[in-house]
Amino acid sequence: MIAKLMILIAKAWQKGPSQVLPPSCRYQPSCSAYAITAIERYGAARGGWMALKRIGRCHPWGGQGYDPVP
Amino acid sequence: MNDSKNLILAVVLSALVLIGWTWAANRWFPTANPPSTKVEGGKQQPLPQPSAQPAGPATPKQVQSVSTALASGPRVRIQSSSLSGSINLKGAQIDDLVLLNQRQTISKDSAPVRLLSPLGTPGAYVAQFGWVASGTGQVPPLDATWTADQPVLKPRQPVTLTSQTVDGTRYQIKIGVDDGYLFTVQQSVTNGSAKPLNIRPIGLVSRAQKSHDPDSWTNHVGPIGLFGGNADYSVDYKTLDDEGPQPFNNASGWLGFTDKYWLTALVPQSSMNAEFRRSPSGGYQADYALAPVDVGPGQTSTTETRLFAGAKEKAWLDRYEEAGILKLSKSIDWGWFEWFMRPIFNLLLGLFHATGNFGVAIICLTLIVRAIMFPIAQKQFASMAAMRKIQPKMKALQERFKDDKQRQQQEILKLYQAEKINPAAGCLPILLQIPVFYALYKVLLVSVEMRHQPFVLWIKDLSAPDPLTPVNLFGLLHFTPPAFLAIGVLPILVGATQWLSMKLNPQPMDPAQAQIFAIMPWFLVFIMAPFAAGLQLYWMTNNVLTIAQQWHLYRKYGLHLSDTHPVHT
Repeated sequence: MIAKLMILIAKAWQKGPSQVLPPSCRYQPSCSAYAITAIERYGAARGGWMALKRIGRCHPWGGQGYDPVP
Repeated sequence: MNDSKNLILAVVLSALVLIGWTWAANRWFPTANPPSTKVEGGKQQPLPQPSAQPAGPATPKQVQSVSTALASGPRVRIQSSSLSGSINLKGAQIDDLVLLNQRQTISKDSAPVRLLSPLGTPGAYVAQFGWVASGTGQVPPLDATWTADQPVLKPRQPVTLTSQTVDGTRYQIKIGVDDGYLFTVQQSVTNGSAKPLNIRPIGLVSRAQKSHDPDSWTNHVGPIGLFGGNADYSVDYKTLDDEGPQPFNNASGWLGFTDKYWLTALVPQSSMNAEFRRSPSGGYQADYALAPVDVGPGQTSTTETRLFAGAKEKAWLDRYEEAGILKLSKSIDWGWFEWFMRPIFNLLLGLFHATGNFGVAIICLTLIVRAIMFPIAQKQFASMAAMRKIQPKMKALQERFKDDKQRQQQEILKLYQAEKINPAAGCLPILLQIPVFYALYKVLLVSVEMRHQPFVLWIKDLSAPDPLTPVNLFGLLHFTPPAFLAIGVLPILVGATQWLSMKLNPQPMDPAQAQIFAIMPWFLVFIMAPFAAGLQLYWMTNNVLTIAQQWHLYRKYGLHLSDTHPVHT
């Protein structure tokens, strides 16, 4: 239930704000795609935490490149 | 194929936004305060404010005007720097109270906001203290006439009301007031009869009507209380209509009613049985009864209750919390992100006190946010400058994988990684700015400090939308455009600056996204139009600063627009 809601938020982000914001993805897949996969694979708690950590390193001093859900 | 699908989606979404936005915004998402001015014939006219003007019949009783009601019986005047009004000696009711520091409209000679009104008048709203007999003994009836020892209640000059029952028991209510919005009420009973007395002290707040302010999921308006340490926003007027009384037994805390900006709260010293209910006359009531006390012949028993009646100004709420009223500032419904809202609100208030103008304070807040974000932009531009060096490699990659977009993307990312550069700033910087924006929206919506605060020129109230609109030629034509068309000057400036700042940003490679980029600033105009002018000001300043920052960084790194606007392949 919570997992579904979180995925819905990630998808809404992709369809909404992400479309109109300047391209900002440093990673592949994007943070939102990463979050969806992580939550589907590991559930709301662990997947959500992984997504948060991913967003946490998505800044100019963070990493970059190909970084899939483990 | 995918591109055209995206484009159709964008068009459909855009249409939905345009048609549905005004409706949806009003339904779920209060965008701003009602307009406080209207521009007419080139002049700005104050509009009556619904929340400050109660209307409609109060009780089935005969409706009379406030001045008639106030002239009808003996009263004790209330006089302080924040409050003015009177106590009705019939029933010992505090039923006449205006807030001297809050005006009904933004006009300087507008009347102060009336919080409490006598029973039988439009918008009746009263506070009352008394006793009920739980065993033996007599108590003064709720409509008893009391005698006062002073004609005027002032700070540091309390008034004692006295009523004696036929069996010789003396009831006294000593009421004190401070310079803010707090009354201290000491109820004492001296048993002059020969028999023991068993009574319960009570207090109530009763209002004839619901609030004029809308209750929404971003802001609770209605019955409010704090029981056992937790603020309760769950009881609405509708709950009382549909489900009957809502009791909270053996609770300590406070209870009353809140409007958007105003609050009445009863704060007993000890644990109480509290209840919200519909009153028989059709209004609503918040009341409490304390535990029964035994008063033997010749003995005296005293209880103390405080009553907050006024505007939810942060300075006073904080002071009363320090004075022991638990979490009174929770009477402002900050919501889940309270921990984030409060620092922003405090910062904004600090900037306001430093600059003396809330609009300037908002601009300063924007400057601070941009200053914090500046290193990110700088890093991004340093990366862009470095990209010129790898331009040939990029071209080669784009050429090699031009039929496989996915692969091309991956290879470019690999190249960035190898060269340790990346023009993308990541999503964290964007996500961090959203709470600031939401906090400002919320502050403009709920804080009474922002009410009727002017900026410059025609912006007389930052918490209401921009009233000056080209749709009626800036008020020269005598018609008021419908809400969804009333697009102010500020939102248009927001759109224009947004367009310019997006032009200066790195452009999307995807043509469908480029299309969305091109329309987006003009949608923003419609979306921002119904929001508070303060929020529009924040967005516009943010855009202007972004443009200035981009311009500075382009020069600093010797970049040219073409460096960040690659030719579409």
